[in-house]
Amino acid sequence: MKTLAKLAGSAMIAGAMVAGAAMAQDKQSITTVVKITGEGWFVRMDEGVKAFDADNEAIDAVQVGPAQADAAQQARIIEDLVAKGVSAIAVVPMDPAALEGVLRRAQARGIKVIAHEGDSIVNADADIEAFDNAAFGRKINDGLAECMGGEGKWTSFVGSLGSLTHNIWADAGAESAAANHPGMELVAAKNESFNDANKAYDKAKEILRAYPDIKGFQGSSAIDVIGIGRAVEEAGLVGKVCVYGLGLPKDTGPYLESGAVNRIYFWDPKDAGYVMNVVAAKVLAGEEIADGADLGVPGYNAVTVTQGPGKGIIIQGAAWVDVGKDEYKNYPF
Amino acid sequence: MTDVPASAATPGLPARLWDLMGRRPELFTLALIVVTVIGVAIANPNFFAMNNVFDILRASVVRGIFAMGVLVVLAAGGIDVSFTAIAAFVMYALTMLVTNIFPGMPLWVILPLAALGGAVFGVINGLLVHSLRAPSLIVTIGTQYIIRSALLTFVGTALFMNLPASMEAFGKASLITWTGGTGVISTLPATVLVLVVVAFATWFILERTLMGRAIFASGGNPGIAERLGFNLFHIRLFVFGWAGLLAGIAGIVHVASNRLANPFDLAGMELEIIAAVVLGGARITGGSGTVIGTLLGVLLITLVSNVLVFVGIPSTLQLAIVGIFILIAGTIFALRQRN
Repeated sequence: MKTLAKLAGSAMIAGAMVAGAAMAQDKQSITTVVKITGEGWFVRMDEGVKAFDADNEAIDAVQVGPAQADAAQQARIIEDLVAKGVSAIAVVPMDPAALEGVLRRAQARGIKVIAHEGDSIVNADADIEAFDNAAFGRKINDGLAECMGGEGKWTSFVGSLGSLTHNIWADAGAESAAANHPGMELVAAKNESFNDANKAYDKAKEILRAYPDIKGFQGSSAIDVIGIGRAVEEAGLVGKVCVYGLGLPKDTGPYLESGAVNRIYFWDPKDAGYVMNVVAAKVLAGEEIADGADLGVPGYNAVTVTQGPGKGIIIQGAAWVDVGKDEYKNYPF
Repeated sequence: MTDVPASAATPGLPARLWDLMGRRPELFTLALIVVTVIGVAIANPNFFAMNNVFDILRASVVRGIFAMGVLVVLAAGGIDVSFTAIAAFVMYALTMLVTNIFPGMPLWVILPLAALGGAVFGVINGLLVHSLRAPSLIVTIGTQYIIRSALLTFVGTALFMNLPASMEAFGKASLITWTGGTGVISTLPATVLVLVVVAFATWFILERTLMGRAIFASGGNPGIAERLGFNLFHIRLFVFGWAGLLAGIAGIVHVASNRLANPFDLAGMELEIIAAVVLGGARITGGSGTVIGTLLGVLLITLVSNVLVFVGIPSTLQLAIVGIFILIAGTIFALRQRN
């Protein structure tokens, strides 16, 4: 069995090397590996990959991913790509640590590796982060402060007290409010929604009861604003209470329409998909990406470049998008 | 809150009262609720507002429906932790079916379908418990994982924001609308009626039918129950089926009042529901329990978990408070039952 597998493996590698050599002569290929296919977020990312493919005649760009969110299946797909001999792999890791081994093998074969949302990955040539998390939290709070007129009580929600990015956003928002708007008073900070809209709703109702004069909510989990929005809507407080936070356009749409949620913040996976391929192409061409470089995608016009945990670099954009009632339909995901 | 155990455990307390609570454990739950309410009202006098009462009732509905199913399983000497997974599966699959294929399906078709779907899962639980002769805790942990995984793998993971019109209307329907002094509107949702019907049906089964007697008998001592001529197989199918049926209904109520269907919802609620039933006076080892006590237990759990922000407890500390409360109440129950 083992010998058979080895034989089959070497046969595949041999075949792949021939194919790879043949491909290298005409076209470079970049494969984007996502966490799961079919989910709205990654369907949108595929649009970015397809757009890059259409814009670049010399490069073949496709997106693949497992049918379910499973780190082991994602690793197997990358293994196949290594065997196939693609020029570069752009990956949105399910579990960064689980991919290190297979990515190291990929790099040993001369395949370039680009990651997104995986700044802890050692075996990558570059990692792309849409934005600085603290700046994102401040950005949401700025919107909230403007809506509140810089005055009054407000509170924040997190998916859970253990989720790192949510806490960075909530803390940065709180710091920004304390520093810039002395009139804003943070009450009952960091309520946990456990990524459950119903829990967010219950907590929001309770806060409306405990602080009848509350003026603002800052949400962190994508469903926080949905639960808060429902509480605000049912309490007849639309227009009197400001609701800002991370959200997805399609899911939050009904509450943006009713005005219960004022503005949602996110990043566009289409741009992230496109920019991963831009970076892959640059790495393949041997171009260096310097601090302040323009990658030609909105939000990635002056990126910050820092050294990553391995030999690779971390590229950080300022690619947040914020939409209200009028613009959310431009982002169909 | 903390002076409850002290006063209840004092030997000087009239023995008559203690005896009464021995016979009617739900009175003890009621006493705990009263003490909690007084404690909260002292901390924040705004507690006695109509919108508060409405909100707590509203938050009790889904818990209450689940608890009725758990009560029946516990009374028969079993335990079920798969009901939240059943509810999540039924609510999500059914919402998907109605949205994509029969958008005009009225509620009087949706609710019975949900009950049927839940009952099928429940009966499978009963079959497994009986045929494998395994503890029902292990069996239902297994089925919980399988059902949840099947839901996420084969049915879907995305949120449903746009519910079918009939479900949306059901969730928004209100019995009473009340406007507070600050212009805040509160409504008593019509979903409360579902809990009323479910509670009455469960009471009727437990107290007025032969099956009810069989359930308590098998929970007290299955060997004797069998010798008395009760069919344990039928009892197990019935209790798990009933728990599943109610879980299906609870799922639809959850979706309708939440106005979205999220397949990740409801996970992790099992233990607080079981805690509520036990705090309502049912023995975890079976053979006892009342509908009214269970309803009071649900009210107690809802009350404690819904007033913490109101009293001003920071979010990092809230779970600990709920835990301490369950521990104290549970200890007193254990002491009382030992007497």
